[in-house]
Amino acid sequence: MIIEAKSLCKRFRDVVAVDGLDLEVEPGRCYGLVGPNGAGKTTTMKMIYCITEPTSGSLRVFDLDVISHPREIKARLGVVPQENNLDPDLSTSQNLKVYARYFGISKDVAASRCQELLEFMHLSDRADSPMPALSGGMKRRLILARALINDPELIILDEPTTGLDPQVRHLIWDRLLELKERGITLLLTTHYMDEAQKLCDEVLIMDEARSVDVGTPSKLIRSHMRPYVLELRAERGRVADILSRFGHLEHQSSGQNLYFYGNATEEFNGLYGAYPDVEHLLRPASLEDVFLKLTGREIRQ
Amino acid sequence: MNAGILSVSPAFYKVWLRNAQVFIALWKFNFLPALAEPVLFIFVMGLGIGSYIKEIEGVPYLDFVAAGILGSAAIMQATFECTYGSFFRMRIQNTFEGIISTPMSADEVGLAEISWGATRGMVNATLVFFILLVMGVFHRWQVIFLPPLMFLAAFNFAAIALLVTSRIAQMEYFRFYFSGIVLPAQFICGTFFPVSRFPEAVQIFAWVIPFTSYIDISRSLMLDRPARALGPELLWALGTTLIFTELAVRSMHRRLVR
Ligand SMILES: Nc1ncnc2c1ncn2[C@@H]1O[C@H](COP(=O)(O)OP(=O)(O)OP(=O)(O)O)[C@@H](O)[C@H]1O
Ligand SMILES: [Mg+2]
Repeated sequence: MIIEAKSLCKRFRDVVAVDGLDLEVEPGRCYGLVGPNGAGKTTTMKMIYCITEPTSGSLRVFDLDVISHPREIKARLGVVPQENNLDPDLSTSQNLKVYARYFGISKDVAASRCQELLEFMHLSDRADSPMPALSGGMKRRLILARALINDPELIILDEPTTGLDPQVRHLIWDRLLELKERGITLLLTTHYMDEAQKLCDEVLIMDEARSVDVGTPSKLIRSHMRPYVLELRAERGRVADILSRFGHLEHQSSGQNLYFYGNATEEFNGLYGAYPDVEHLLRPASLEDVFLKLTGREIRQ
Repeated sequence: MNAGILSVSPAFYKVWLRNAQVFIALWKFNFLPALAEPVLFIFVMGLGIGSYIKEIEGVPYLDFVAAGILGSAAIMQATFECTYGSFFRMRIQNTFEGIISTPMSADEVGLAEISWGATRGMVNATLVFFILLVMGVFHRWQVIFLPPLMFLAAFNFAAIALLVTSRIAQMEYFRFYFSGIVLPAQFICGTFFPVSRFPEAVQIFAWVIPFTSYIDISRSLMLDRPARALGPELLWALGTTLIFTELAVRSMHRRLVR
């Protein structure tokens, strides 16, 4: 096991950020943590990369205890934090080299690794750029390059693609899949369920400091959802009317949006017929549906 | 949980090096402004006021205030570095959180910050030392002990400053530290005139602040006369440096590893 948490708890004064979490991450897998804002994802990750200490429970990374062996654990992993912490006064390559030094990597090795990683993240022509000259996407790519400087066995990515354009997201996905192919274990949080579904072998859904469910994306979808979803976007006045006639089908509503769930597309035929003019979309159930079903549609924090 | 100076590995110099690297990248903004204050003091106190006072305790006024100006250059620079400088790196830039996500520990970051503050204080004091040397203020060879003494003074105040930094939630609290300790230290610790001018209560307060000891020892090196009590003064200087360094490093650990 690369990561093994048992009844892991973290309390900040009166806030319980993580409550009785069990987690097992096998080597070479991509493991996703998803959950609403404030669910405790970042706190869980910070305990794993040893910059926050658990209040109770046990947490082992690489089979080492996080309280007694933080240095050894941190030497073997890479971190992409949620908040940008690049050195604004240093250039792109200096940012990488300063980190190489913290890991005790020699100057020569650092120089060649730095070049390699900048190439890997499509930043070679930006090697000497000052930080303010980089776009958000470049900074994010640089942080990912920095997380790889020590050739880690485990990479912890806290929302690696938040706020990025589709091109950069795809580049990062490609790179992450490539790293996974090399046998590196990935632990990732994201608010994009398509990203979790695409990248993760296993997903843990967290809500209010607790684990709600865990499994492969398809298993989660199968166990919580019917396979098909019909989305309707009705005018305000018609929502009640539609529900009065088709409320017997499993459904959820959120303002003017209605979601009907079915085992076969034929189940929706009556609905189509009755409201041919209402905007609709028929699609397979997704991880996002599971997420919203398990954590609710109302806003948290 | 092991924390404190004893848990620090020699690798802490890497964090010091990071600060040095940024300092060099921005040297234009760092160097000259830091020298403005001591140079101003030399002109205003030494040459300006000095031309009226002529002599104090039997020596020319400039010779007397030289110790104060030198000491101020050291402790003020160290204090700024480990208050606003460290706070900025910690809270605004998240630099420390990044560093402790590598094999470096929070305690190493703490000791490196103090060492860096001490380095900047000493660099500043050494420049002032050469200005004073060129002005012909020094008359004894013993003044060569001044730069190392200034390193200790800067280290001492960097440690106190970092302890304050590690305890406050927002930058505004530094104002209490500056107006309550730093500014008084600059004026009552024998910098511009002897501590003995003050009522007894103020004198005690002045001697509690280690700056008074540093200035008294400096003056004894510059002018041919004994310190008030060299042994106890040195002990107080070293002791408070050690204690505040340990407290600051531990407090930084608690602040960074929550
Ligand atoms: N240092 C801290 N001190 C006090 N409370 C904290 C601290 N860090 C996190 N919390 C609280 O712990 C809870 C979980 O926060 P955390 O940052 O882990 O959530 P998250 O799942 O990462 O959220 P997001 O998706 O918004 O990043 C929140 O209620 C947060 O306010
Ligand atoms: Mg988070």
